[in-house]
Amino acid sequence: PPSPQTRAARVRVGKGDKPVTYEQAHAPHYIAHRKGWLSLHTGNLAEEPGAAERAVEDAFLRRFFYGTFPGILADEIVLKRRANLLVVCLVLARGLPPSKLYFLVGYAETLLSHFYKCPVRLELQTVPAKVVYKYL
Amino acid sequence: NLMGVRLAGSHVDTQESKTNPLVSISDEPEILYKRLSLLVKGHDKAVLDSYEYFAVLAAKELGISVEKVHKPPKKIERLTLLKSVHIYKKHRVQYEMRTHYMCLELKYLTSSTAAVYLEYVQRNLPEGVAMEVKKTKIEKIPEHIQEPVWDTLPQVEETEVKS
Repeated sequence: PPSPQTRAARVRVGKGDKPVTYEQAHAPHYIAHRKGWLSLHTGNLAEEPGAAERAVEDAFLRRFFYGTFPGILADEIVLKRRANLLVVCLVLARGLPPSKLYFLVGYAETLLSHFYKCPVRLELQTVPAKVVYKYL
Repeated sequence: NLMGVRLAGSHVDTQESKTNPLVSISDEPEILYKRLSLLVKGHDKAVLDSYEYFAVLAAKELGISVEKVHKPPKKIERLTLLKSVHIYKKHRVQYEMRTHYMCLELKYLTSSTAAVYLEYVQRNLPEGVAMEVKKTKIEKIPEHIQEPVWDTLPQVEETEVKS
C-alpha cells in the first residue's frame, strides 16, 4: 500500500467545502479498479511503438480543449484512438448558447484534422453543473 | 388514380444488371489457410473478454471452426524512476504497465473467408487494443521433392571392394 506521504494526483482532505469530481477524488492506484483510463491508445502495450508521440498529442489536445472551451469543461477529456480516427469525448457545463457550441465544435474538428492529418470527431455531452462526487 | 404516387424508387428501367462494384469474382485458385491465429493485446481484461465473445460469435455465424481460445499469461513492464526533479536518490517512484493477451485460433479457412472475417473483426477493434494476425498457408509440395531422390538416380552397379 502506498505511504501516506505520497502526493501524486491526490486531492488532500480539507474543510469540507471543496467540490471534487469522481475522477479527481480517486488516487492513481485505483486505475483499473475504480477508475478508467482517460486516453486509450495502443502505444503503451508491450512491443508496440508510438507511446511518446501519443503522450505529446494527448498533452497538446488537453491544453487545446482547455482553451477552446474556457471555463465550461466539466471534467477531463477522454481520448480514444481507433485506427487513425481520433474521438474526443467532452462533458461541458451549459455556459454557452448551442449555436456558439456548434461553431466551436466545427472549428476544433477541422483545425485538429488538418493539424494531425487524421479524422477527428468530437462527442459532446452537456451537463447542468459540474458533477460533484464528494466535498473534501 | 396515380396523381400523388411518387415514382422515385420504382424500377422504371430494369435493363441495368444489379452488380455490386465491391464484389469481384476471379477464376484464380483460392489460397487455403490451415490456421489463422489472432493475438489480441490490451490493458483491460474486461475489454478483451468481451472482444473474445464478439470474435467467437462472429466466427460461428460465418461458419468458421474455432480451434482453441487461450489466454497467454500477462506481461508486466515495471519502471523505477526518481521521484524528485533534482536530488533525493533514495526516494523513487514505481510504475507498471500490464499487457493482457488473448489468442484466438481458427482452422481451415479460404483467403476470401479470412479477408471477410478479418475486415469485420478489425473494424470493430476497441480502442486501446492491438491485434496481430498470423496466417499459415497450405501449399502443394513442389515437384522436385515429390518423389524421394534415391528413386530418381540412375542405378549404379555395385563394384566389389577388395580389402
